[in-house]
Amino acid sequence: MMNAAIQSHLAQLQIVKAKVLAALRKGENYELKTELNSEYKERRKEAVRRVIANMTVGKDVSGLFTDVLKNMHTDDLEIKKLIYLYLINYAKTQPDLVILAINTFVKDAEDSNPLIRALAIRTMGCLHVQEVLDYLSDPLRKCLRDSSPYVRKTAVMCVAKVYDLNREVAEENGFVDAVREALGDANTMVVSNAVSALAEMNSMGGRVWQLEPQTVGRLLTAVNECVEWGQIAILEALIEYEPRDEKEAENICERLLPRLQHANGSVVLCTVRLLLRYGRYVKRADLLAQFSKKMVPPLITLLSSEPEIQFVALRNINIILQQRPRLLSKEIRVFFCKYNDPIYVKFEKVDVLVRICSERNADPLLAELKEYAKEVDVDFVECAVRAIGRLAMRFEAAAERAIAVLEELIQMKVDYSLQISVVVLCDILRRYPGKHESAVTTLCDHADHINAPSARAAYLWALGEYSEHVRNVAGLLGAGVDSLLEEEDAVVQLALVNACVKYFLKQPQAAQALVLRALQTASEKCADPDVRDRAYVYWRLLSADPNAARAVVLTEKPPVRPESNSLPEGLLEELIGELGCVSSVIQQPAKQFVYAYGEHAGVPRGGADAAISAADSEAQATSSGNIETAAIEGEPELLISF
Amino acid sequence: MSLESLFILNTAGYVAPAFARYLSSVPSLADAEPVWSGPQDTICIHIQRKELVYLGIVSEEVPPIEILEFLDGVVQALSEYIGQLSELTIKENFVTVYQLLSEMVDSGSVVTTDTTVLRGLVPVPSLVNRVIENVSGIGLGSEKRPNVNTSATPWRRQGIRHTTNEFFVDIVERIDTIVDSSGSIISYDVSGDISCKSRLSGMPDLTMVLNRPDIMDDVAFHPCVRRRKWDEERTIGFVPPDGQFKLASFHAAMDTSSKVLPLHVRALSTRKDNIYTVEVMLEPGQCNGRTIEKVSVKVPLPQQAYNIGVQCKAGTHAVTNARSPQVEWSLKTVKSADRGLRLVIQYLLRGASAGSSGKGSTAPSAEQGALAAFIDFEVAGFSASSIKVDALRLLRESYKLFKGVRYVTTAGSYQVRF
Repeated sequence: MMNAAIQSHLAQLQIVKAKVLAALRKGENYELKTELNSEYKERRKEAVRRVIANMTVGKDVSGLFTDVLKNMHTDDLEIKKLIYLYLINYAKTQPDLVILAINTFVKDAEDSNPLIRALAIRTMGCLHVQEVLDYLSDPLRKCLRDSSPYVRKTAVMCVAKVYDLNREVAEENGFVDAVREALGDANTMVVSNAVSALAEMNSMGGRVWQLEPQTVGRLLTAVNECVEWGQIAILEALIEYEPRDEKEAENICERLLPRLQHANGSVVLCTVRLLLRYGRYVKRADLLAQFSKKMVPPLITLLSSEPEIQFVALRNINIILQQRPRLLSKEIRVFFCKYNDPIYVKFEKVDVLVRICSERNADPLLAELKEYAKEVDVDFVECAVRAIGRLAMRFEAAAERAIAVLEELIQMKVDYSLQISVVVLCDILRRYPGKHESAVTTLCDHADHINAPSARAAYLWALGEYSEHVRNVAGLLGAGVDSLLEEEDAVVQLALVNACVKYFLKQPQAAQALVLRALQTASEKCADPDVRDRAYVYWRLLSADPNAARAVVLTEKPPVRPESNSLPEGLLEELIGELGCVSSVIQQPAKQFVYAYGEHAGVPRGGADAAISAADSEAQATSSGNIETAAIEGEPELLISF
Repeated sequence: MSLESLFILNTAGYVAPAFARYLSSVPSLADAEPVWSGPQDTICIHIQRKELVYLGIVSEEVPPIEILEFLDGVVQALSEYIGQLSELTIKENFVTVYQLLSEMVDSGSVVTTDTTVLRGLVPVPSLVNRVIENVSGIGLGSEKRPNVNTSATPWRRQGIRHTTNEFFVDIVERIDTIVDSSGSIISYDVSGDISCKSRLSGMPDLTMVLNRPDIMDDVAFHPCVRRRKWDEERTIGFVPPDGQFKLASFHAAMDTSSKVLPLHVRALSTRKDNIYTVEVMLEPGQCNGRTIEKVSVKVPLPQQAYNIGVQCKAGTHAVTNARSPQVEWSLKTVKSADRGLRLVIQYLLRGASAGSSGKGSTAPSAEQGALAAFIDFEVAGFSASSIKVDALRLLRESYKLFKGVRYVTTAGSYQVRF
């Protein structure tokens, strides 16, 4: 009873609260209404400000439409702008009321102040209301021929908006033609705006514009005098252009070079993209070398900007480097990670580092990567250690040093870096068969600490492969067999069985008891069917013909290939063409080629490492004892004959 | 390019649920990739500055760097008008923010981010104006109606008058470096800005001559600089905008012998049983005997550190604990004769296994986490790249010009590894 009463009271309170709030809100609008009609200018101004403030936070102030409109006749530019904002916001929902404002717009479009003329024409375009179109045509035509370039450039942009609303109106009134003519305007701001307006109309599906050779020349002159955003608009338009011959391409490139020196990274990147694109038509080696040389300092400068820009720059540099691997090889140090770089920048930097490294500077890079491997972020440590492996795979001369670094990391006994170091170390051993066997001793010394499945599998593989170099291999493997069933991962169990069999084939006397125990445990007690099958196969193979077994198990392994640095030529060309665009940065399957690229790259951690190329991910996949499987499957007849 | 919408968010991102969801998928805002795909085939591009996030939405193939540069331009323009940007100041100045944005973008395409141009379009709100308006009820804004400048020099309007004609140049250089525990330089970079403050009447035409222009291997100039003159004569010729502007930013090519470090920092990290000790020693380096000011050394400690004890003879120290503990040591000045400036930090580590230290208990181990120190400083009157202004000549105007040049070298990203 009590509860019910309380609840009904609460419900009533809720209703009262809602009513009070509604009244308050209404009250505020009512108050604003009075203020908007106040006889004092300053109070009206303040009221307009408050209306806009309410609008931004999502309160409904559409009821004040007529009262706000009354204030439109004013000399105060700030108020005018705010009211225009208000109109843009409510035009879509109340197109009829907007017509009330048209008169003021038309009048403003003829004001003596160009700022107001431009504002009026811009706002009329932004209203995006069919009804306004009829009233817009006349002022727009006048503004396109206005004496002030500020008005002309605004009018040009307005044409694109009209075109979006109604193509016939835009074309029949000659607006589109006027924009094409504006490409020859004396003022560069008008030219660049005309370019963006035409590009925008093109992107709406209308083929209103195609770059002519003579226009290209004019744009290249204009681009030198534009403000940065105008430059970008023009540069982007040039991407679409196909040069007629080599001479023209050379000329365009040379005239673009000064654009590389700009504080706006976007101008720089766009110019690089154009140089790479037109560079395809250029045959002269000295010119191409000059272009490359000029590209380097601005790309480096991008790396001292804000981390977000660094990130985009690095992603693009990564793609450029796949086409021109030597472009930045002297600049390796600028890619060294700072301790406080955001993690996404660090990943990209390490990737670039490995890509630009040459045999000559592998040593300092390895020392650097070792520093990274000591950091606390687990993902970054893994990234660094894997990079060490990639270097060793690429340069045989660096392998020894790389192994020394990995051994050092293992000796530090920091759990996560130890595990990943073991895996990478074994990958390197696999790459260079029959060398660096002393490293296995380090692995054995730290056997107790190796506990991640992938690391244990790698370690066991090494035991089997290099059993002749390990002192107490029987004891180590024996301990493994004892705890075979406790291993959680089938990968480790498989690796252990493989290792025992290998050891047996190399030293039959010493290992007979061990291998028997291992195969028995694995085939009878193991839960995993793969492990049981493998044990059975080995068992039969061994009992039938040890020589055949030797031929299979100790066969020459297919060599692990080093990371190949290239994407298919055509694909790369396409990527370079799209350089800097969203798809090449987030590597999303927005288009077919991006999809293909992503597939190739084997994308760990949300694409951060996407540029690790196919061969490398293959190398990782083949680690941990799968090579034996490959060898066995390579000779199926042998198995079937038993 | 077509920017569909622009959000200014606090770091919690309440207004944009998609952003909040994205944030929850990454460890921290600082580690979130700035370009990501949002709901309904949109691409979201954001930057973070202080406590605010600026998020732009696009839905077509555009270069993200354009959006990033634009967002950065927005931040700069807003801070020039409003000052310190925060949730509160943005809300308080929404009218200015609105006016600025409407001048900066026109239906998705960027018009300008140049603050000298914007100043001509949107009046800078000044406190005095506000007070007068409110008290007297007379709007001042209408009288000083901004006008568009359509001259050949869009960055400078006609008929500027100043009672005194002054021109000040600030050459501010940043040293970005990584130094390893033995004191050798791993990476080293000097970049700088030439900022000017112009209070000149009429249409002055200036020429600035630098002593070593060739050391600048990548220069970006303000649009007012005549490119050709630079390419041919290596001098900077320009008609300056009025007020404050950045004339050029450059990157200096430094050979091995000319790499100077104004402040030498050595750091040593040791462990004895469970006590970790970090020692940081400061010593003035090569900076022509100038006093190093505003020195601060930040040492981030691992998250598990506790019982942190700090000792230093000079300066003050503070321990902050945001995401993980950090010790900051500040000294007002370091003079060229100062020696033996030392900071000692001792701490214990939660969950550090005594066994893992094994035989070499003093060997640095990754477990200690404290791996680098970040240094900040300022040296006035010193230029790391040794670039100097040799001459500043005035043409076209006949008045006497008062000029001043200042050199400052600061630490950009200056870090020392242990």
